[in-house]
Amino acid sequence: MALVEIRDVRKTFGKVEVLKGVSLDVEEGEIVTIIGRSGSGKSTLLRCINALESVDSGEIWVEGQKVHAKMSDLKKFRQRVGIVFQAFNLFPHLKVERNITLAPLLTGRIEKAKARALAEDVLTRVGLADKIDAWPEQLSGGQQQRVAIARCLAMAPHLMLFDEVTSALDPELVGEVLKVMEAMAEQGMTMILVTHEMGFARNVADRIVFMHQGRVWEQGPPAKLFANPETPELASFIASAK
Amino acid sequence: MNFLPLWRYQNQLIDGAIVTLELTVISALAGLVIGIAGAVALNGRITSLRWLVRGYIELFRNTPSLIQIFIVFFVLPNFGLKLPALEAAAVALSLYFGAYSVEIIRAGLDSIPRSQVEAGQCLGLSGWQVFRHIILPPALRNAYPAVTSQFVLLLLGTSLASQVATDELFHVAGFIESRTYRSFEVYAVICAVYFAMAMSFKALFAIIGLAAFRWPRRR
Repeated sequence: MALVEIRDVRKTFGKVEVLKGVSLDVEEGEIVTIIGRSGSGKSTLLRCINALESVDSGEIWVEGQKVHAKMSDLKKFRQRVGIVFQAFNLFPHLKVERNITLAPLLTGRIEKAKARALAEDVLTRVGLADKIDAWPEQLSGGQQQRVAIARCLAMAPHLMLFDEVTSALDPELVGEVLKVMEAMAEQGMTMILVTHEMGFARNVADRIVFMHQGRVWEQGPPAKLFANPETPELASFIASAK
Repeated sequence: MNFLPLWRYQNQLIDGAIVTLELTVISALAGLVIGIAGAVALNGRITSLRWLVRGYIELFRNTPSLIQIFIVFFVLPNFGLKLPALEAAAVALSLYFGAYSVEIIRAGLDSIPRSQVEAGQCLGLSGWQVFRHIILPPALRNAYPAVTSQFVLLLLGTSLASQVATDELFHVAGFIESRTYRSFEVYAVICAVYFAMAMSFKALFAIIGLAAFRWPRRR
């Protein structure tokens, strides 16, 4: 059984059908990158996986559990699924340490005495151990995004979702965030990414999913997909992304 | 001009100032609780509750607070709720301060972007935890300047409680004037006392603000 199973998911915003029957499986330990033009439904699909958006029809299963906004243990479920956003979404009124330890403490995952050690541990993994006492505003965009990743890691998630996490960054800051994500990939984390970073998609992903007009248009290993796209839509997308 | 006759009334003046402070602080704290609860209700999903809060706000912001005090003190006893003057004034002023606080705090809550809520939810926090730990602190910071200036208006407004014979500063002033016939001197003194209290609160709030909201502002 796949870690994530998406079955014929449809989603409409107002009169616009954003997802027109999407099906997708993601195995444990797999790194899947979703690419596609803006408006193709890739971010919406990602947000459906942890019930930030509800689906109109179809089903999403994660670890054998059906996902929907009214599931009784939504909070427990979300503790196992980390998501990193384009705009970092750090809590501006909390220092880096508290940003990281707030959820583990409030959800009872760890006790107070171990909180700082946990923050130090996950910050070390993103290379920011020295920023534990900084305010988010004092960090660069790349550093803020790495803290956001560390904040997810502190919950020891089974699955990580990345929603265009480098799109808001200055070009010279993109690399440091991608490096952290590569390290996570090497450690076997299951990851689903929506990204415009074709280099990252090509080098790190196990599989590329090309979405077009609310559908999974084409998918496969990156080497094959980038070299020999089967559909003209993907071919033109790859050409325009270069 | 002769301030000397006032000297023997200094204890009454101090007592009056203390009552004024009590009335202000109690009404402000109660009003703040009303304000937060009302703001949450206004942003909530229960339509009847939203209308109730809206009606309350409009009622208390569009009628004289003197009449509000009179109603609590003179009219509610007819319905079985008899309050002493100070308590009646405190109730009326709490509701008055609350009505203004609701809108101020709601604006503060609305200033927190939806993405902050989502980030909290995605970490597995409950609705209450998101509100308490993620929305409320920055919302209060954004509402803080408006709440504190409303507080000063409340402090000055407590003088209305003199009209139901609460022994606050303005009422004491009337008493001293009737004994000394020194109108100018009496009102000059209590004016200075109000001014000093208001300025002290402003300074106090500035210090509290610095201590409570230490995180850097968004650039």
